[in-house]
Amino acid sequence: MEQKDIYELLAEKIGAAALGFTEAGVEPWADVAPDGIAAAALFLRDDARLQFNQLMCLSGLDWDGYDENGKGKSVAILGYNDDGSVESSDRVGEGDLGVAYHLYSHELKHKFTLRVRVPRATPNVPTVSTVWATAGWHEREAWDMLGIHFPGHQDLRRMLLEESWVGHPLRKDYQMPEQWDGVQLKGENLIANPFPVTEPDPVDNSAGDQPAEG
Amino acid sequence: MATEEHKVTKGWADQDHVGEVKSELLELNMGPQHPATHGVLRLLLHTDGEIVYKVTPVLGYLHRCAEKIAEGVNYKQWVVYSDRFDYLAPMCCNHAYVTAMEKVGGLEVPERAEHIRVAVAELSRIASHLIALATFGLDMGAWTPLLYCFREREEILNLLERISGGRMLYNYMVPGGVRYDIPKDNWVADVLDFITMLENKKLDDYNNLLSYNKIFVERLADVAVLSKEDAFQYGCTGPVLRGSGVQFDCRRDDPYSVYDRFDFDIPVGLGEMGTVGDCWDRYMVRVREIEQSCRIVRQALETLPDGAYQSIELKKIVKAPAGAAYSRTESSKGELGHYIISDGGQTAFRNKVRSPSFCNLQVMEKIGVGLMVSDLVALVGSLDIVLGEIDR
Amino acid sequence: MSKESTTPPAGYDVGRENMLDFKVDDQLLQVVETDKKNFILTNVDEVFNWARLSSIWPVTFGLACCAIEMMATSATRYDIDRFGAGAFRATPRQADLMIVSGTVTGKMARRLKLIYDQMPEPKWVIAMGSCAIGGGPYFKYGYHVVKGVDLLVPVDVYVPGCPPRPEVLLEGLMRLQDKIRGRKGKFKAPKWVTDYAKKIPYRK
Repeated sequence: MEQKDIYELLAEKIGAAALGFTEAGVEPWADVAPDGIAAAALFLRDDARLQFNQLMCLSGLDWDGYDENGKGKSVAILGYNDDGSVESSDRVGEGDLGVAYHLYSHELKHKFTLRVRVPRATPNVPTVSTVWATAGWHEREAWDMLGIHFPGHQDLRRMLLEESWVGHPLRKDYQMPEQWDGVQLKGENLIANPFPVTEPDPVDNSAGDQPAEG
Repeated sequence: MATEEHKVTKGWADQDHVGEVKSELLELNMGPQHPATHGVLRLLLHTDGEIVYKVTPVLGYLHRCAEKIAEGVNYKQWVVYSDRFDYLAPMCCNHAYVTAMEKVGGLEVPERAEHIRVAVAELSRIASHLIALATFGLDMGAWTPLLYCFREREEILNLLERISGGRMLYNYMVPGGVRYDIPKDNWVADVLDFITMLENKKLDDYNNLLSYNKIFVERLADVAVLSKEDAFQYGCTGPVLRGSGVQFDCRRDDPYSVYDRFDFDIPVGLGEMGTVGDCWDRYMVRVREIEQSCRIVRQALETLPDGAYQSIELKKIVKAPAGAAYSRTESSKGELGHYIISDGGQTAFRNKVRSPSFCNLQVMEKIGVGLMVSDLVALVGSLDIVLGEIDR
Repeated sequence: MSKESTTPPAGYDVGRENMLDFKVDDQLLQVVETDKKNFILTNVDEVFNWARLSSIWPVTFGLACCAIEMMATSATRYDIDRFGAGAFRATPRQADLMIVSGTVTGKMARRLKLIYDQMPEPKWVIAMGSCAIGGGPYFKYGYHVVKGVDLLVPVDVYVPGCPPRPEVLLEGLMRLQDKIRGRKGKFKAPKWVTDYAKKIPYRK
């Protein structure tokens, strides 16, 4: 089925929550409001004309500072400098967070892309882990990296970082930590050389190999 | 001194019926440093004796922030980091990333480059499957296949070093082509000789030594059966999915690069030694895939066209117009996909890596229940995970 | 036999270096002193150092891509067992060498220190690969990567590469063997032995 037709079916089912379908570009996608995503997921999986039985990928997104005009002027991220210190800035992130779902049907061999946008202050996207079990870990990772909360998820805790980590690293305004849990995470100064180069002591080999004494 | 009734115990075996005995599950840690966990994977087991009742993988011990780095370095520079995901088949990872980047950027790739890419990616896939066989045999107690497989792998690494300069991690593909052309020292003929030798002699060696070995089969048949429905639900792909009987391969069902020109089969698990979807099936799918990869390499190199090997010169800047696309490829572990959002510049705005081992590993929480600890080791080996991909 | 040739020099730190509570018989040394022309008394330290360097057993501590090159080093083409270092022990209690091969992340750092602490003395560490030396390609944006394992444990040999070829790892192992060969223990040799040792031409 064509993606446009799939979107028509979806819009019939969830009504106002289907916010639009964008055709332009390499891959068309459908925008869905967050409160409609749970119903949309169930419909997409169970309807006989659609049968999307596999969630290929669930990606968390941070739209902070995205250059809508396509001129490559998005805000840069902060890293570590060469001398080990942390780049810092006072900019507070704004812009929405989002989730993108990529679905595939093994029976009917078609694909579909969904996108959800939520405000930064209250990033709540209902979970789809009851529909596709693989979303369990993907949503945990989105929570870990971006701070998107998934109400309804049975086990929403950090996936790749420890529970005591502060902050959500994939956000655009994230500043690199200097240390965590006593472990130093910033580097030493790359420029200074702590080992001054000196000439080694000359070895007196002029006499050649001597037989062992005694 | 208690006066409440309890059953009279006659012997040691009757202890289970004593009402006052409190038992709980033993929480055991198969820690990040373990000889059988294929990397820094931590498994928290709750066991009752030898039977595992709950297994929780704890990840993140190799989290190297590659997705954050993708927002900091430009498209050409990030190819270096893509090698380090599945470090056993790095050309497949390179291929996945440059395919995705070219889809977003609308870049063209010359025919010669596509053929070369397919050939080296399949060679890398063979190398990765050889390690899968080797380490799986090692987990099951067989020491010899490790040395046999590493011997063949050294040959492949030699060939790939001649073409790319690196022995294990190549940084060979660039958006728009490949970095260097095929060397003029008879490379194609050497690859074809190696492939012939592998097909004719070595695969029989491995099958005689390991695949049909009675001990190996008894340890793996009917162990950790993964059903088709579970595989779809948990997003399993690659040999894990094919071992459960599903004939799905991104190279054929969602073709990218020039795979639609080549003729190859998709081996699936048939339940020869046990049930469809057990560990032995997943293992045998990999052995049969080595054969199919040999066929693809031969076809790719025998029909190698002349022409350019890059469509963009190395020193030019690579940009992609604003847009987003998800593109998936068949890596040796499964479906490796990149969702790249670009804003028109040299650096990606967001690059989400969908790694196959991440999804394959999740299935362990479901089918690892009820296994014995040594069967759990067999399950981890048959899923063939790479921690570089899982933790990114 | 004078005292100063058998006691260690002042200020010598016996904390880490000693494993032996060894006293050589004074009479035996006297025999040696008079019969120098007929006996070669090997420095006891040399014997122990030779034994240690010929059988350095590493602990399996492969973290990432460099671990595969470490496995290739122990395979048949670049056999590490010919250096005596082929018995990789899974438990740190039986190992002398920790080859940190791969990226050390913040989460793994505590476990690395734990494994290092569990190894008995004398123990050595090889930092293999650019990630273990100084953070590697993850220096600038790696918020979870420890920029070098020498921020956690003392490192003896740094083996560069990304990943280092097996031959380079073997070269690093040989450098470590040189380092062990030159160790001085609590037992200090008589002066004539050290004088002789100085005249052995050192491999340039």
